[in-house]
Amino acid sequence: MTAAKARKYGAILGVSLRSGLMYRGNVLGGLLFYALFIFVFFSLWGTIYRAGGVPGYSLPQMIWYVCVTELIVFGCRSGVFGQISESIKSGAVAYELNRPYHYVFYRFFSALGGIVFSFLFYAASALALGHLFVGPLPNFRLWMLPFVLVSIGLGAVIQFFSYLCLGLSAFFIEENRAFMFIYSKLVLMLGTFIPVEFFPGWLQTVVRYLPFSYITWAPARMAVDFSWGHVASALPLQLAWAAVMIALSLLLYRKGVRRVNVQGG
Amino acid sequence: MFREVSRCLRLIGRYFLLNLSSAIEYRASFLLQTFGMAINNATFIFFWWIAFDKVGGPIGGYGFADIMFIWALASSSFGLAMVVFGNAPALARIIYSGELDTYLLQPRPVLVSVIAARTSVSAWGDFAYGIVLLALTQPQSWSLWLLFALCVITGALLTTAIQITAGALTFFMGNASMLQQMALEFTINFSIYPESIFHGAVRLIIHTLLPAAFIVHVPLTLVRSFEPRMLLILLVVTTLYCAFSFWFFGRGLRRYESGNLIQTRI
Repeated sequence: MTAAKARKYGAILGVSLRSGLMYRGNVLGGLLFYALFIFVFFSLWGTIYRAGGVPGYSLPQMIWYVCVTELIVFGCRSGVFGQISESIKSGAVAYELNRPYHYVFYRFFSALGGIVFSFLFYAASALALGHLFVGPLPNFRLWMLPFVLVSIGLGAVIQFFSYLCLGLSAFFIEENRAFMFIYSKLVLMLGTFIPVEFFPGWLQTVVRYLPFSYITWAPARMAVDFSWGHVASALPLQLAWAAVMIALSLLLYRKGVRRVNVQGG
Repeated sequence: MFREVSRCLRLIGRYFLLNLSSAIEYRASFLLQTFGMAINNATFIFFWWIAFDKVGGPIGGYGFADIMFIWALASSSFGLAMVVFGNAPALARIIYSGELDTYLLQPRPVLVSVIAARTSVSAWGDFAYGIVLLALTQPQSWSLWLLFALCVITGALLTTAIQITAGALTFFMGNASMLQQMALEFTINFSIYPESIFHGAVRLIIHTLLPAAFIVHVPLTLVRSFEPRMLLILLVVTTLYCAFSFWFFGRGLRRYESGNLIQTRI
């Protein structure tokens, strides 16, 4: 990327950061829902562990696991799917095509500020709620944090570009909300609510070939049960899925934009 | 009194038919949203299947069939509430933005007109999902379906009444949209997990302020071992809570000041 391009997208990022700060009320509202989810899961897993527990994860690990997975799900809620779908359906996308930026990267950098801001808020809440419900995360050392943060960042990139691809699908199928419903549920079920290790063997094999668990399961597992083996297997796959989703969004945009008919008026 | 109630029911019926015909005008969208919501709900079966498989026994005293029952009832109750009273979740916003003016001018009870004026298309998916889930996961009997039908109605009334009470807080404290949204989320979340996982203050709340216990957990007890006294309690609580929400909205309405918002209803 040339210096001029970096300055251009840097400026877009700056605007979105300021906008994220300005509309912090939205994040504050989301915090209440985040706290509700953590509370409900704390109550549920607390009951399960009091009755005997589940092999593989202790109760504190389980609660911290949900804190991290929900942090990614809540932190990544940028509205990019709705914005892109709407602008394609309404035709407003025509105004964005002849601007001096790439549409896909513009969408990314203009959402990034809000996402960074949300992550900071939700991360603070995750820390507070995790400590409140089950105390500090056992065996976690500060030197593990950079690896976990990189994994969370890659998970967020996969999630963001997946939403972007789903939004761009409006170029081809106008009523595309069903895709979003199904996608978000796959992310929730394949790693957000329950660790992949809890699945039957055959399903674990299937899930490891799909991108969904690399959004929430990979980073959360790294945070609650750090091992070099997991770092070595998860990070390259996360990187690969992030690259695939970015490439797919560029491809969908390139194919989709050819289908736009701009009329005067 | 009886005439007033029957006029209200006729009004709700008219709104329902009007909303339904407008919803199915866009048939593809209607079907997509309905099936989309049903699939959306169905994914939670997966969560419980894994959880029960891992735990290997009941969770909080609830077996898999019990969880499926409360899911079926919560889903159909919520669906029915949002199909018939689809505007209820927007009540706080309607009051706050001054949109209530339009309804005040109509020669019908304000609250009924407001909440029944819209339907939620995706709620048909919720409603249908509950029925399918009940048919597929419970031992079938006439008494089960009879109790289910009755409890879907009481559940829908309670869900709507919670929305009305939370929304009407706007009359007293300004914009209560967030509070109303929270009330809905809390009610749903307390209705789809075993009651026994909640303790202390939360347990008290789900039996009083947000009576999620009466939406699904009391009906589950009734279905598993029927007790006329329990049914009577359910009916009395539903009636009292609905009457309270009606009264609370009425009290609030006296404090309402028009926002002079110019709008049209088509």
